[in-house]
Amino acid sequence: MAEIKNYTVASSPHKLDRSSTRRIMLDVLIALIPCIVCGTLYFGFYALLLVLVCTATCFLSEQLYNLVRKKPFTFDFSALVTGVILGLNLPPRAPWYIPVIGGVFAIVIVKMIFGGLGKNFANPAATARVFLLLAYSSVMTKYIGADISGNFGAGLTTDLVTAPTYLGCGTDALRSTFLGAEGYWGNVLQLLFGYTGGSIGETCSLAILAGGIYLTARRVIDWRIPVVYLLTAAVMTLLCFQSAKEILLQLLAGGLLFGAVFMATDYATSPKWRYNRVLYAIGLGVITVLIRRFGSYPEGVSLAILLMNLIVPILDHFILPVRFGALTARGKRQWPIMQWCMRAVCLGMAVVLLVSIPLVGYTEVGTKGGTYSYVTDVSRKLNGEYAFEVAGSAYLSDYDYTQPLAYRVTLDKTGGSVASIQPITQSTKGYVAELAFFVGKTYDEILARTELSTDTQTSATRTNESLRKMILECFAFYDYNFADYKILDYKGGGISKAERQGDLYRFTVEGVADLAEYSYQQPLRYVVTLDRNTGTVRYITTLIESTYGYVLDKPLYLGKTAEQIATMTDETIAADITTGATVTNVAARGMLAECFAAMERLAEGYDG
Amino acid sequence: MAVFCFFRQMFKMKGGISLAIFTKGVHPRGCKELSNRQPIGVCPDPDDVWLSLSQHIGAPAEPVVQAGDRVLRGQLVAKKATGLSANIYAPIAGTVRGIVGHITISGKKREHIWIENDHSDESISAQPLEERTPQAVLSRIEEAGIVGMGGAGFPTAAKLNVRGKADILVVNGAECEPYITCDESILLSYTEELIEGIRLAMIASGATRAVVGIEKNKPKAIRKLSDLLADGEIAVHPLQTRYPQGAEKQLIFGCTGRVVPEGKLPVDAGVVVINVHTALSVYRAIVLGVPCYERIMTVSGKAVERPGNYWVKNGTPLREVANFCGGREDCARIVSGGPMMGEAVFSLKICTSKTTSSLLFLDASESESKVAGPCIGCGRCVQACPMGLSPTFIEEALFAKKYEEAKRYGAPACISCGCCSYVCPAKRFLAQSVKLAKKIIRERNL
Repeated sequence: MAEIKNYTVASSPHKLDRSSTRRIMLDVLIALIPCIVCGTLYFGFYALLLVLVCTATCFLSEQLYNLVRKKPFTFDFSALVTGVILGLNLPPRAPWYIPVIGGVFAIVIVKMIFGGLGKNFANPAATARVFLLLAYSSVMTKYIGADISGNFGAGLTTDLVTAPTYLGCGTDALRSTFLGAEGYWGNVLQLLFGYTGGSIGETCSLAILAGGIYLTARRVIDWRIPVVYLLTAAVMTLLCFQSAKEILLQLLAGGLLFGAVFMATDYATSPKWRYNRVLYAIGLGVITVLIRRFGSYPEGVSLAILLMNLIVPILDHFILPVRFGALTARGKRQWPIMQWCMRAVCLGMAVVLLVSIPLVGYTEVGTKGGTYSYVTDVSRKLNGEYAFEVAGSAYLSDYDYTQPLAYRVTLDKTGGSVASIQPITQSTKGYVAELAFFVGKTYDEILARTELSTDTQTSATRTNESLRKMILECFAFYDYNFADYKILDYKGGGISKAERQGDLYRFTVEGVADLAEYSYQQPLRYVVTLDRNTGTVRYITTLIESTYGYVLDKPLYLGKTAEQIATMTDETIAADITTGATVTNVAARGMLAECFAAMERLAEGYDG
Repeated sequence: MAVFCFFRQMFKMKGGISLAIFTKGVHPRGCKELSNRQPIGVCPDPDDVWLSLSQHIGAPAEPVVQAGDRVLRGQLVAKKATGLSANIYAPIAGTVRGIVGHITISGKKREHIWIENDHSDESISAQPLEERTPQAVLSRIEEAGIVGMGGAGFPTAAKLNVRGKADILVVNGAECEPYITCDESILLSYTEELIEGIRLAMIASGATRAVVGIEKNKPKAIRKLSDLLADGEIAVHPLQTRYPQGAEKQLIFGCTGRVVPEGKLPVDAGVVVINVHTALSVYRAIVLGVPCYERIMTVSGKAVERPGNYWVKNGTPLREVANFCGGREDCARIVSGGPMMGEAVFSLKICTSKTTSSLLFLDASESESKVAGPCIGCGRCVQACPMGLSPTFIEEALFAKKYEEAKRYGAPACISCGCCSYVCPAKRFLAQSVKLAKKIIRERNL
């Protein structure tokens, strides 16, 4: 038996986790690769060169500092991480000296002077970015648009063609369609792919998410920081921008995602205890959105990280984990209040998001068309209500002034009544619509309400009248586009389509107005909804009529019975201004009569 | 993950009585398969044994033999001192060569009784105890010199003598340290004896229920014990595989959901904890009349030819164990105890005691020689600490000589489990720093 000789004596534990400082830094570098690749693809080789210059500067300045201070050289990769992160934070066409100055500032001023690795008071990359932003603001805010073919081949041009970013210019900075998706979802998709102007590494959200998932899976970063940061930012966006649509755009635009994954999670400058980290992330989210919404900079991530970094030592000092079995001074069990609070706050924010997105969120809805005088846009809220944007005007005769009006009218899920009205544009002199006349009212009530005067002001009455017309049109819009009718087998005369829903009969009816003045036969097509219960005209939607203003005066017929319409005198029908309109009105009278006849015939067929 | 564990625990609960889950700590590789395949072996009696007089917490025992006396196996050689102490019995038959100074694992020279083996193996033993009253059982446990065999060495009679203040007896079969499998082998090979021992311990302590906490990485043991304990006052509680699940307070929390207040004993939470091996020793002392002079020890590691669990007489020099099991030349470190809390052996002259649960022969790939780097502030030590301390801040305060600050961060509550050093990516000596801070705070009475 061989004698055991060469054994060592050391303190416990004798087995250690396989992680090491260098391995952690290497993991971060690996996680940054997708961002570097995307940045190079989108912004060209010059962008890659900037990142490399920045990384080299950081590494060299650290070694140079060690040399000057007669310290051993350090090869823990942390300078490389700082360099790559700062490089990815630069605009793609920054001049060469920007990464050099930034790198030296980050490493020497922020990191090494305070004691090197782990001793820096703030994230070196974030601080250097803020420094560059203040010192070279004109260069640091000039972005170019992402362009795979253009930038990639272009080589080392530094012509600054400033491209707008979403945070600076809103959706105008984004394309109307992206990868086949239109409108809102197109914008989201574009930001998700990061195919837009911005810093080299922070545009492509997918690449950042890939890096973040890798780091979380390797347990390098604590998932709480990015997740809670994004959650808080989402809730704050909802509060500050009052729009659920804005949430995704704000989360994906700018440096929020990059900052949340790579910069806020920096070890030395984030709290050590997990629930302190939650509090820190909440602070980050709040500050970021406040700066974005109310600050003079369009982007607030770096500033928020810098500010919260300064608070971290205080958090670490005053908020400690509750020890296992710890007792209070009175000898009672000490409860982990901080833990409960943070969990409750996060849960609360998640609930707020889940509950309020359906209340204020919108989706786009498909429409069948039709011509409308007032409705400019319609979307469906996530809770099923329909929101109409209406715009029109009221002629304030007292002042000989045409007041532009715009409202957001919301109809409930079934289009039965007005859920809410939100004024967007109306008189600033107090001649405002009396919303109580309409909110919560059904179509019939609004149609029946012809007395619209508010005692004092004629101008307010005019506004009310205009709003009434707009709301009535919203109902007609709903009826034609969203109401669920069953198609009936009927054709005859001018009627090309007949439908029924309960007592409501809807006809698509065609006719011709003979505009003799212009020797023109104006084709007309309306969708007319009749109510068999009351025997009245309920809605009229225009599909085709004159584009020169010789249009049907719909209120003339709405709510009228067949007899009332038949017995109308020509004077009643005549439109004041133009003969063309009168001819259209007369033609429509005939078409309505035809519809009434068709309804009777259909109803008898069903009843009999 | 925690929610998932919670539900799993709920459905898998078989007679367990707690839903509390211990989530902190670390999860090192078990390496238990090295030593848990073979049946329990017997290490041959050595030619000489050196019995330490303080194999337990408390005052050293007082020798009752002199140089030249002949002793039989199972004969009392040192009597417990007044106060907290324990009897010591001869593990072999032979001649006492004297009361001599001999090195111990801590590096200090302590008095040992040196017995030379005459290989006659003559033995004496007490009569089995028929009377099962708490008083009789307790006095037999005290007489047999049984101490906590999980490693602490607290005299068991003193521990079980709670006079009805505890209603639950927790039996520690967690064995959360990597490599060690002696408790597992007892659970599998001496199941009936163990259950009888637990019943006797319940009688002694007056507990009405008993919970055997076993980590889930020992499914065979859980199954075998659960089958034998289909109903009754003894329950088996599967625990998360997590180090330090077997630490006293964490075990009590995992098995019963009770939290032992800081600075108090388990009995203040109505709980008494004994180790699986201690329960087996209780059985041997009362039913067989055999006092505590030998124990099952795990010999494991990659640098040993025949790893496994062996009955080893107390006082056996480690060199004998190494020779019997085939310790190899490429052994880089010898550890007495588990790799997380055990102490590195500096000399193979050191002898085993009642509390030596394992001897590990680790090769270079299993043992670490680390160089500490600067703290990068990752906070992993804070997340891992099962006691809720902040090791990195305690170390910072210690280096700045701010001991009050170290106390505020919780240094006195350290259980020396080593989780902080284990997880530290900068390989800092956190556990040692916290231990030192704790010592200074205690000495200066801050």
